[in-house]
Amino acid sequence: MTHFIQVLIDAVAIGSLYALVALAIGLVFGVMRLINFAQGDYITIGAYSLVVPSAAATPALMFGALPWPAMILCVILTVVVLALVTERLAFRPLRNSDLTSLLISSFAVSYFLQSLILMVHGGRPKTVSIGDALSRAVEIFGVRLPGVQLLTMVVALTLLIVLVLFLKKTPIGIQLRAAAEDFQMARLLGVPANRVIAIAFAISGILGGTISLLVIIQTGTLDIRMGLMPTIFAFFATVIGGMGSLPGAVVGGYIMGILSVLLQAYLPAELRPFRDAGVFSIVILILLVRPQGIFAKTAKERV
Amino acid sequence: MLKIEQVVAGYGRLTALKNIDLRVDKGEVVFVVGPNGAGKSTLLKTISGLMAPTSGRISFQGERVDGKAPEQVCRKGLALIPEGRHIFKTLTVQENLLVGAMIRKNAMEVRADMEMVLETFPILRERYNGVAGHLSGGEQQQLAIARSILQRPTLLMIDEPSLGLAPLMIDQVYSSLRQLNQTGLTLLIVEQSTGRIMDLASRIYVLRNGNVVLEDAPGNLANGNALDAAYFGFSDNAA
Amino acid sequence: MLILKRMFPVIALVVPLIIVVFVIDQFGTGNMQRVSTEALVRLVFAVGLYMFVGNSGILSFGHMTFCAVAAYASAWQTCCSMMKPTIMSGLPAFVRDNTFPLIPSALTSVGLAGAVALVSGLVLMRLSFFSASISTLALLVIMNVVFANWTTVTMGNSTIVGLPVYVTIWGALAATVVVIVLAYLFQNSRWGLMLRATREEEVAAQASGVSLYWSRFIAFTLSGFVAGLAGVLFAHFMGTVSLSNFFLNHTFIIVAMLVIGGMHSLAGVVVGVALISAVTEVLRQAEAGYSIGGLSFAVPPGTQELVLAVTMLLILIFRKDGIMGGKEFRWPWPARSDRLAIEERKVASVQRSS
Repeated sequence: MTHFIQVLIDAVAIGSLYALVALAIGLVFGVMRLINFAQGDYITIGAYSLVVPSAAATPALMFGALPWPAMILCVILTVVVLALVTERLAFRPLRNSDLTSLLISSFAVSYFLQSLILMVHGGRPKTVSIGDALSRAVEIFGVRLPGVQLLTMVVALTLLIVLVLFLKKTPIGIQLRAAAEDFQMARLLGVPANRVIAIAFAISGILGGTISLLVIIQTGTLDIRMGLMPTIFAFFATVIGGMGSLPGAVVGGYIMGILSVLLQAYLPAELRPFRDAGVFSIVILILLVRPQGIFAKTAKERV
Repeated sequence: MLKIEQVVAGYGRLTALKNIDLRVDKGEVVFVVGPNGAGKSTLLKTISGLMAPTSGRISFQGERVDGKAPEQVCRKGLALIPEGRHIFKTLTVQENLLVGAMIRKNAMEVRADMEMVLETFPILRERYNGVAGHLSGGEQQQLAIARSILQRPTLLMIDEPSLGLAPLMIDQVYSSLRQLNQTGLTLLIVEQSTGRIMDLASRIYVLRNGNVVLEDAPGNLANGNALDAAYFGFSDNAA
Repeated sequence: MLILKRMFPVIALVVPLIIVVFVIDQFGTGNMQRVSTEALVRLVFAVGLYMFVGNSGILSFGHMTFCAVAAYASAWQTCCSMMKPTIMSGLPAFVRDNTFPLIPSALTSVGLAGAVALVSGLVLMRLSFFSASISTLALLVIMNVVFANWTTVTMGNSTIVGLPVYVTIWGALAATVVVIVLAYLFQNSRWGLMLRATREEEVAAQASGVSLYWSRFIAFTLSGFVAGLAGVLFAHFMGTVSLSNFFLNHTFIIVAMLVIGGMHSLAGVVVGVALISAVTEVLRQAEAGYSIGGLSFAVPPGTQELVLAVTMLLILIFRKDGIMGGKEFRWPWPARSDRLAIEERKVASVQRSS
């Protein structure tokens, strides 16, 4: 029973995390039909902004040395600015391109950012420790939980709720949802294209920054590819949720989280390293059954 | 009020509009009819800013609007209901209407207009908090019109309001359009069929192959021969 | 004469390649030969990727999978007979304890890659345009996870060393020529033309009775074979196999070459690979440092990657169809009837774009 509860909490924590990234990707996809590969690099750069650029394996702290409210603010601001800059310079000129060109462009931006980190910080993984106090275990109702897990869950759930309220209750949120569903029509009604796209990217920046902090607290390791796997998971969350559907992205995120936690918990030990292969095989199977995703918006995808 | 002069527009190397001249005066109901592919939708897209014309000028109440973005054009008082209505299916009826009213500044007026709209289209009040995707075709058309009214446009453009609707629904939609016109709203309506438009139209333009081939008041077209001729291109002198 | 005219787009690509290879073989430095051989191997992969992506319009992130499968398969068969029982103990006994001749090994490896492409194509090609594209990424991840953790067979993330090095510049050229001809024949075959039709207009092509699924499936499988061939060539050019060579970074480089050259024509692929290989080599040397007249200067490491990414973005923004604009090299002296055909094509493409 306690094992099950631990698995459950794990699933919610990881699921919320994926749901957040998926929401970021889903929002941007909604307003400009772009699957943003660079989302992963937003996360990576957010994490790297904690330290001073150097070749050292345990580098000096930069934003990581600040008191935590300032640290959070600085990291998130960095990522938001980065997201806005990539939108302005790379994606905006391509706004009316076809899906494939947009996808390729985000692939290029991602590669560019990765190379940039490589140039500035060097390629070696680094260790950085922030939030050590959080790695202690907490006991609730007889279940021992790692503090980090709880933190991830609480932060991710809170952000998710705030974001959903923002999208549902504020005029800008409603406009954003309208634009995500039908961009041209939203513009015809006066929703400014540049503004909603910028807001979508800013949100994906906020989410990216938060996730980089959560990941760093969990792993303590900086790596050039650290943002890649969460982002790929989130891609598939948005795809199985139904491209362009925001509730779908959230549900898809949880499905991905639950799948990977369940496989981790119940696969025989010698197969556990192959967990992600299992997750993605299941994803492909889900897509075979529901090619348009679970919350498909339209019967026919725009081609 | 709306003046279109020598407008040329197209997609890539294909010209969909070849030198269009057209005007809409205050209080009129102007129809643009023509067969499939005549350039009717392109015309509305170009006026509303979804497409930029390759050449020519479009002015609205004395102000150039060609080449402006749709979100700017609609702020001048030009609204478009595109073909297929394009309501936001995942949003509620209320949210659809709120997006419609987003360019308005005065909250009091918006509230009064909202009340008026719900009065006109009672079904929308009934479904106010429901998801718009669940509405029937006719209800969606009503929502699309209501949403555009909340923009408080001075000129409303509609692309094929009767498309895909049952005859009874079409009558309803047309009668609400007539009411709107009586309250002073100017209308520019695109239709493919010429069937129901005669008694509502102030003037009619026939578009074929990207050209205006006929412009006249419905009274002069009473027997319909000239209209048919222009529509189907029986006599090519007009082109 | 007729065949010369019909095959002109291929001849216009192959002849310059042969000349360049001849010149480099005769007069080039060892490094130049190495770089050119590697570029040719890349070209094989790029042509393979093009056979699917260029014809179908679906971007694939997954083709490195087939490359990896073939490279590993060849390593299992030909590598290091002394060490194999220890370092790859998980292999089936008859593979583990024997070393196979090179050519049959190459063929079975390519066959295995093709089989993997065939099976995954059966599944993935059922998906719609966009899902299919993204799902190829899932394929890549699955391969990567499996190979990274199946350590008794793949040595995980370690590099397998000691493969026989037999790919020379002429060998790589021969493979390239074969693959270019194959790709050209495919794109002008019934299936290829169908697929190109679906690329322009999925709905219309379906309506006109083109089986979207089968045309995509055939292209995917064929391109999987070619990607496998590239994998074998790569393994026996380097003499090593390392999993990190078969992930997104290398996929990106090839996609960049396709985009820059123009991914809707074979000519675009060849031009893209040739050009980018040359430019990256110059930048690589610049990173190592040049010395001119006693002055030495170097650009910071990582410059080539940044330049590549920026070039690709600029191409996407300003010349979407790449340098070649999606065109093949055409017979420069068209007869009257051909000119009519060209006119018709122009008209057709105008109508399509509406």
